[in-house]
Amino acid sequence: MKFQSEPNTSAGEFFELLEKSGYRWHAKIEGTEKENSFTVPQGTTVLAFHFQDGVIVAGDRRATAGNSIMYEMCDKVIPIDNYTLMAIAGVPATAFEMARVLSHNFEYYRRSQLQSMSVEGKIRALSKLLKENVGMAVQGLGVVSPIFATYDPTKKKSNIHFYDMLGADFQIRTHTATGSGSQIIRGILEHEDLWGEKPLAERTSEQAKTLAIRLLQTAALFDSATGQARPEDDIYPTLATLTEEGYRFLGDDETAEIYKSSMKRG
Amino acid sequence: MFEEPYRWMEAVSTRHNYVQEKLKMGQPVLAVPYNEGLLIFGFAPQPGKIYEIYDRIALGGVGHPADVEKLRMNLLDMAHLEGFNRSAQDVTSTRLLQFGIAPALKQNFEEIQRAPYIIRLLLVELTEQGKPNFFRMNYDGHWETFKNGTAIAGDEKVMDWLQREIQKQPFDSYSLDQALQKAAKLWDESRKIKSNDSEDEKNNELPETLKEAFDQWYLEGAVLTEKSMSKAIYRSLSEDEINRLKSSTG
Repeated sequence: MKFQSEPNTSAGEFFELLEKSGYRWHAKIEGTEKENSFTVPQGTTVLAFHFQDGVIVAGDRRATAGNSIMYEMCDKVIPIDNYTLMAIAGVPATAFEMARVLSHNFEYYRRSQLQSMSVEGKIRALSKLLKENVGMAVQGLGVVSPIFATYDPTKKKSNIHFYDMLGADFQIRTHTATGSGSQIIRGILEHEDLWGEKPLAERTSEQAKTLAIRLLQTAALFDSATGQARPEDDIYPTLATLTEEGYRFLGDDETAEIYKSSMKRG
Repeated sequence: MFEEPYRWMEAVSTRHNYVQEKLKMGQPVLAVPYNEGLLIFGFAPQPGKIYEIYDRIALGGVGHPADVEKLRMNLLDMAHLEGFNRSAQDVTSTRLLQFGIAPALKQNFEEIQRAPYIIRLLLVELTEQGKPNFFRMNYDGHWETFKNGTAIAGDEKVMDWLQREIQKQPFDSYSLDQALQKAAKLWDESRKIKSNDSEDEKNNELPETLKEAFDQWYLEGAVLTEKSMSKAIYRSLSEDEINRLKSSTG
């Protein structure tokens, strides 16, 4: 730990502080001859949609490397601060690092500036990280495709954003999904929103959780890189809600109950 | 000028007097345990005495606002870099003080060509095991640890009196409301002690009672509580909690 004697001019910018301390985002690798080597992130399914009280964010637990299943307990929905969740698809090392930087960035800003960062500021912060990462992404080493969900307690409004590889953000009014299993469930989400019992945004918390579990189970049936729930081993998808009270991850027992009831018809 | 040891010692002594004189009007900040965590609290004419430093660490400050702010930012930088590079569990108040600001403050104070920090700090922490830690740090880098609560104030007599009185109370068995009421009472009584001791310095602009303090000043208070569902367990006192205290003091 080092005592800094010069005046602080970073105005709550944690990434700048990190760089001053010698931290560098992954260095660009020069001279690679591999062309068009980046691929759209594969090997996961994460989703988010608006419901009555806020946003639900869910993800499967499988991590793969090529055709190999490496891990079945991966947490792909990550809390960033009390009102922000990030769901990740892509290269885990880069995605987890981004989540860590963002988490410290938001908390550092809130504590140093004595106010929370605006929702727009948070959305922009992830854009900046993705832009910094373009060099790695085009070389196929660090592509990340995140879903970013926030709740603004002052406006009582929830937001879902997804990003392209260059850092452009797109606000989602209803639902989104990313990862290799996402194409399988995007149609279902749209169908549910348009012609289901009621629009997604009007569904209760219980209905939203049931749908999220069913969607992930469906994705796992068709996509080998998306992990199914394994009740015999107490492995279930990750489910988290983001509401006026902040984020809340469902505990294993609660998820097990919802899984059990969700697998029945009706 | 300072090549002789005596002159250096004299200069350091003068700095003590200078800083103590400057600090004299600093209003107390108290930190006490209660049955669900710890409370840190104080009144002041201007807000800016109590801050969150990290997930389980809070700061109270007395002195020049710019100096408090400078050290607050240093603590924030150190805590967040450590938490990022290692883990939140590696960020402890002991490390921040002992290896962070204490040596730097001492060096700054004894380098007599540089302006001294006009501060007294209070650093509190609720450990992962639910144990409250209280630290008090002086402008010269000297720091002390307390188990059952502590206080800082501009006037050393007031500070020592508060320290003794806090130890007499079973704060750790109190509810938050009880701890707040008792701490507010001690704050109030400490001000009377000060005015008795220094009649000539009586300032008519200062509130004389707790009720006047509520009306004229800002009450700043926060808790670090195990009841928090969040990773960061610091929260400011709610309006309800402050109103309950206000009505209990009449």
